Amino acid sequence: MDAPLLAVENLRTYFYSRAKRAFIRSVDGVSLGVMRGETLGIVGESGSGKSVTALSAAGLVTAGPGVISGRIDLQSNGSRRNLLDGLENYARVTEQDGRVMAVEKDERGWRRHSETLMAGVRGKEIAMIFQNPRSALNPYSTIGKQLVETIRLHTNFKGERQARERAIHWLERVRIDSPRLRFDNFPFGMSGGMCQRAMIAMALSAEPSLLIADEPTTGLDATIQSTIVDLLAQLKTETGITTLLISHDISVIQRLSDRIAVMYGGTVVETGRAAQVLAPEATTRHPYTAALLASIPSAETIRRKSYLQAIEGEVLDTIEVPRGCRFYGRCNRVTEAIRENCAGLEPPLGEVAPGHKVRCWLYPAGRKA
Amino acid sequence: MSRTILEVTDLRKDYRQRRGLVSMLTGQGRVIPAVDGVSFYLRENETVGLVGESGCGKTTIGRTVLRLTDASSGRIVFDGRDITTLSRAELRPLRREMQMIFQDLDAGLNPEMRVRDILREALTVHERPSEAEIAGRVRELLEQVSLKDSKLANFPSELSGGEKRRVGIARVLAVRPRLIVADEPTSALDISIQAQVVNLLRDLQKHLGLTYLFISHDLPVVELVSQKVAVMYLGRIVEMGLAENIAHQPRHPYTGILWSSLADKQSIEASRRVRDVTVERERRAWGVFDFEQPTSGCRFAPRCPLYREKGRPAVCTDPASEPQLRDVGHGHVVACHFA
Repeated sequence: MDAPLLAVENLRTYFYSRAKRAFIRSVDGVSLGVMRGETLGIVGESGSGKSVTALSAAGLVTAGPGVISGRIDLQSNGSRRNLLDGLENYARVTEQDGRVMAVEKDERGWRRHSETLMAGVRGKEIAMIFQNPRSALNPYSTIGKQLVETIRLHTNFKGERQARERAIHWLERVRIDSPRLRFDNFPFGMSGGMCQRAMIAMALSAEPSLLIADEPTTGLDATIQSTIVDLLAQLKTETGITTLLISHDISVIQRLSDRIAVMYGGTVVETGRAAQVLAPEATTRHPYTAALLASIPSAETIRRKSYLQAIEGEVLDTIEVPRGCRFYGRCNRVTEAIRENCAGLEPPLGEVAPGHKVRCWLYPAGRKA
Repeated sequence: MSRTILEVTDLRKDYRQRRGLVSMLTGQGRVIPAVDGVSFYLRENETVGLVGESGCGKTTIGRTVLRLTDASSGRIVFDGRDITTLSRAELRPLRREMQMIFQDLDAGLNPEMRVRDILREALTVHERPSEAEIAGRVRELLEQVSLKDSKLANFPSELSGGEKRRVGIARVLAVRPRLIVADEPTSALDISIQAQVVNLLRDLQKHLGLTYLFISHDLPVVELVSQKVAVMYLGRIVEMGLAENIAHQPRHPYTGILWSSLADKQSIEASRRVRDVTVERERRAWGVFDFEQPTSGCRFAPRCPLYREKGRPAVCTDPASEPQLRDVGHGHVVACHFA
């Protein structure tokens, strides 16, 4: 079997919160692989670490006295590059009892080294689309100009006219009406959905090997959201681009993903093929995934006007990470047999079926490990 | 049948767009009708859901019926009293009976005040209760919104999203309102918290006999909590009826499209089929949405699949015949020539 195009191994991304004088463990030991041609969807609530995972992979975490460790391997042109290679030399972390006590960091050195590592990768190998397309586009430049710039920089279409034709080709690919007219439009003259299409065109026009889509439909109107999801689904079939999709919206994740990773409190709590993770009849699934699916009003709930099955409690605050399972405080499936484990020991991500892993003490595979 | 608590007749709210120096100096500008002749009523202890895309005028209706902003024309009758043109002083005693829950979690939560003081302020704004009464009411409010005592000493910034929402609701309940306009009460919350808040709002309605105008784009939730639903498009109600009829037997093409685009929230598997087979065809020609584009006749015609299917009938774009809401049975009203 091929090595994954992107392999994240034991990624930790911490930020220092001045207000709380503590480290926020946004991503706390995440391992993921994205195979060539597949779409991996990461689903989770705000604060689960899904976006920070993606930003770390794109080398976009530079903020303050934060720290990243682990490996992020990207396959490019037949070779592997660790996008975090050597960054550890610029930061020293003092840990005690698994808690980060202090970080000494050479900020400038870190940033410079990170830029060297990402040169020729970000924008070219890894392209991103974001939640708010309008803010990601340059308001002072037409859509066409911005596309042409990307194309000339990253592809073999170097000539002005050649690049222009290529830009129009991409506008067509993302189903923008009258692309030749739209070419000269500024972002402010376009609707949110149209801006997102332009953004997608821009990301794809560099012909990247990996597309990171961070909440691509959030903030758009419901009807527009579904057209963007439709477009992403069509482009996926047409181009076969490898995608890391981040969303809090399970329906978006379901529609577009081949495999799914569910994140909670900075860790992956469940991963598997989309059908395994979201199968309606699945019995071996993480209690969090189950609760998340159950809290969406079903046709049955609506018909009987019954109460929603809410998940009690609050989203985990990743400063004070509990010793045991991160979901323990909100979990409704803790049994007496496993309670001690749940409260005191973080469960491993155990395989419950081929390719399907769950981080929960309920499942024998997890217990054995 | 319970009595009508709010009746809105032919409500209009125009915003004037001033662009450029000339219109600024002359005070003239293009008039944008955010709400363009809307009528509906709410009965006591019922929930009416208001749905539509952003910019269709949902929030403007909410703000106008509470007189947070003045209507351009039309009539708003609250509990048998015409409040459309009441002065601020005359409105004041009525304010406590009609409250709004805002989409923004921080709205109404003074960042400099502790939760205890926020609630105290709300309790004393219309009345002068004794200290003992205040303490009793604070306890009662905390219980009603299931918030721990320990949170009273916190500042809003120390609360999670769900807790902020609960404090916001407690603050509204402090004045013992009868009508609450809930404007996207869950959209700023995490998915796992949304269900808690929806359950809470329904509980409160049951125990306190509240009436809700529930504005949201979360259609499954709207269908769940509402008895009636009104669908808005560009400032107008295009369809209104019982929640289950709107959701499952829509008569207006816009309602159908709106619901099908969100069908996945209810049943992910079923939606794949709905999407791919039925709706795909309609979507492809889904044009750009322009609120400012003047249309003649039916305002939905430029995006309407039925209009195209029927070979672009002239009646749809005839300026003299914008479709009016008409009853198609059981109080279900639709504004479409072909419904």
